[in-house]
Amino acid sequence: MIEELPVKYGYMGKILMVDLSGGVIREEIIPDEVYEKYLSGIGLAAYVLYRDIPAGADPLGPENVLGFVSGLLTGTGSLFSGRWMVAGKSPLTGTWGDANCGGSFSPAIKRCGYDGIFFTGISEKPVYLFVKNGRAELRDASHLWGRDAVESEEMLIAETGGDSRVAVIGPAGEKLSLISGVCNDRGRLAARSGLGAVMGSKRLKAVVLDGRKRIDVHNRTGMKRLSQMCNRWVQFQPPFLPGSLVAYVGTLMRVLPTQMAMDGLLYKILLKKWGTGSMNQMSVEMGDAPIKNWKGSNVDWKIERSMSVNPDAIKRYEKVKYHCYSCPLGCGGICSLKGKYGETHKPEYETVLALGGLCMNADVERIFHINEMLNRAGMDTISAGGTIAFAIECYEAGVLTKEDTGGLELTWGNAEAIVALIEKMIKREGIGDILADGSKVAARRIGKDAGKLAMHAGGQELPMHDGRNDPGFNVHYSVEATPGRHTIGSQMYYEMFQLWKVVKGLPRVKPLYFKDRKYVAGQEKAAMAAASSKFMNVVNGAGLCLFGSFLGARRIPVFDWLNAATGWRKTPEEYMAIGKRIQTLKQAFNVKQKVDLRSLRPPDRVLGRPSQTEGANRGRTVQLEKMIEDYYGQFGWDARTGVPTEQSMAALGIHGGERGV
Amino acid sequence: MAYRITDTCNGCGACRRLCPVEAIRGEKNMLHVIDRGLCIECGVCGRVCPVASVKDSFGIVCSLVKKSEWERPRIDTKTCMSCMICIDACPVHCLALSEAAGPDDPHGYPYLEKEKACIGCGFCARECPVDAIAMIGG
Repeated sequence: MIEELPVKYGYMGKILMVDLSGGVIREEIIPDEVYEKYLSGIGLAAYVLYRDIPAGADPLGPENVLGFVSGLLTGTGSLFSGRWMVAGKSPLTGTWGDANCGGSFSPAIKRCGYDGIFFTGISEKPVYLFVKNGRAELRDASHLWGRDAVESEEMLIAETGGDSRVAVIGPAGEKLSLISGVCNDRGRLAARSGLGAVMGSKRLKAVVLDGRKRIDVHNRTGMKRLSQMCNRWVQFQPPFLPGSLVAYVGTLMRVLPTQMAMDGLLYKILLKKWGTGSMNQMSVEMGDAPIKNWKGSNVDWKIERSMSVNPDAIKRYEKVKYHCYSCPLGCGGICSLKGKYGETHKPEYETVLALGGLCMNADVERIFHINEMLNRAGMDTISAGGTIAFAIECYEAGVLTKEDTGGLELTWGNAEAIVALIEKMIKREGIGDILADGSKVAARRIGKDAGKLAMHAGGQELPMHDGRNDPGFNVHYSVEATPGRHTIGSQMYYEMFQLWKVVKGLPRVKPLYFKDRKYVAGQEKAAMAAASSKFMNVVNGAGLCLFGSFLGARRIPVFDWLNAATGWRKTPEEYMAIGKRIQTLKQAFNVKQKVDLRSLRPPDRVLGRPSQTEGANRGRTVQLEKMIEDYYGQFGWDARTGVPTEQSMAALGIHGGERGV
Repeated sequence: MAYRITDTCNGCGACRRLCPVEAIRGEKNMLHVIDRGLCIECGVCGRVCPVASVKDSFGIVCSLVKKSEWERPRIDTKTCMSCMICIDACPVHCLALSEAAGPDDPHGYPYLEKEKACIGCGFCARECPVDAIAMIGG
């Protein structure tokens, strides 16, 4: 029986702690001041993980803590607030690790009465956690071990009464692939940071939740009013170009010497019409998408060649739009798929480019098929694509031979060989076993000069956004507590967030500027990057979606929603200070784990050293070192090492390392 | 806040059988109790109690309503944005998402899939951010 707690607004006030070694499950009450200091979601995870993971913990050992957290705004009547996060020490990078996913799992955590569920220890045999109506129990999962994520999810829903929400690993996580993620809603993946392997190492097959609790809010009418205002912007949908012409918008952006500050409303129109796939060709044309393991460009991947993945070509497969919980936009889709699977989630932009342009592959049917293979295996499509592109370049350079690959002709664009290689990676067979832990580990295993061809930051394969086009990406790939992350900031993201409209003291963006200004380092750019990091911690603490946040601060009322849901009266500046605190605590986590913070940066090729001689990014080099130092300075961290100073920690009220507030 | 069963309860078990969160315990013909930690205040116990033994969170005695007269959600798909909030809010999972509405509208919309399972709690309508759901009496 659960004791009744005083009513909480917005958050549930409790977490569930599960020790898999001893099979002990207990609730922990989280004091209100923790929420006021760190919100919920990623902030709550940072608070618990920093406190509970000892220095030097093996990410795949019993000491690592794996948290599944919902967001403070999830279930409060806000929109775009269906993102849940999994967090732990990443086995891929050895740093703070988190991954984020939509679907219907996030509200399920809160409806069970918790803001987060945390796992320590290692179970003797495969188990899953089942929570329903105030009862939490570990159940045997031996019958599911080895089964793919979608099949497992369907079986788990059936055996727990038909109404559960499930987060589950596939064979990749079970086999401790360092590029594996956690799957929910039949093939959506919290993919990054290799946290599927942490779940696999704990022999935790799944988290199964059937929660029906009410989530109370302080001012429901106020929440609705704010949501209706936001929804009006989302539903504003003027006609746009046909999919086959969208690429030329990118061409225009490439050839002009000037750039317009990006308004997220334009991106929203694209997302609502096509999803992230709207950028499949446009990004290549404007220089945002890396081609041929980052050594190619739009010259190698011309519009005619990639026409098979143009937005309309992808949309042709879409049977119905897919909305995550509380999303009025619906950028996802359920697509028909030839073969045994029948359907798949619409491949995202990242997937299409990582397995397409990055490997010079334009076979759209096979990209759909690979998407479903990887989703079911629970393997990150970005890292898988990045690792395959690395392997192809190794093959091209003679570092890998046909003998090494088990007879596979690993040439650029050989879609058949790519499918066969992914099968091997999932099963960890032959060359697949070498590649299943990402390009950094693979390069070490292969030896020779393979390391120079691995395009990662701190071990994590880089996403499909080229920091030679927008240097802000390279900054965030390097300075975030989880390296190689594209969902936090860039110069273009800052333009879309439009934070200066509601937060005092932030730099404004000129509506039109010369492109060469992007490459000049300076305090203003550092302030923009720092603001993006802080804001995204608030967004991830609230459980909001990045794409919703792109609407702009006046159109998506993040701070007002937080106040209406909780009853707090915090200013936007105070929320940004919370974001700063979370960022600093994650950085302190990395310091505690003795990470060499300056090693978390992309390789020279990605920085334009030497610069490319053709294509959209020719002649461009990024002044990364200066930009990193300026960024650290914005947080009051040591400019050379990135270590938060005692003063910066104390100023944020992080006392004694938050060993219990 | 939670509902409460008074000592006039005759132990018929009608409320226990319908409670969506298994918050009600009691032997047949014995006084039943509601677990305050589990109760979500959906009110179905009060609507089915034949002897007026359930008090709501404000201490008001609930009155019996015939099941055919319970309110049911009516969803205005023109206002609906397919955000899935109502489907998640329903404690008995009686709402489902339809297939795509048609060639010009690729969205699915929520509909009352299991009408008999609906307990008329109105949580779907309460949580809908754009007020696209109205609760209509039977």
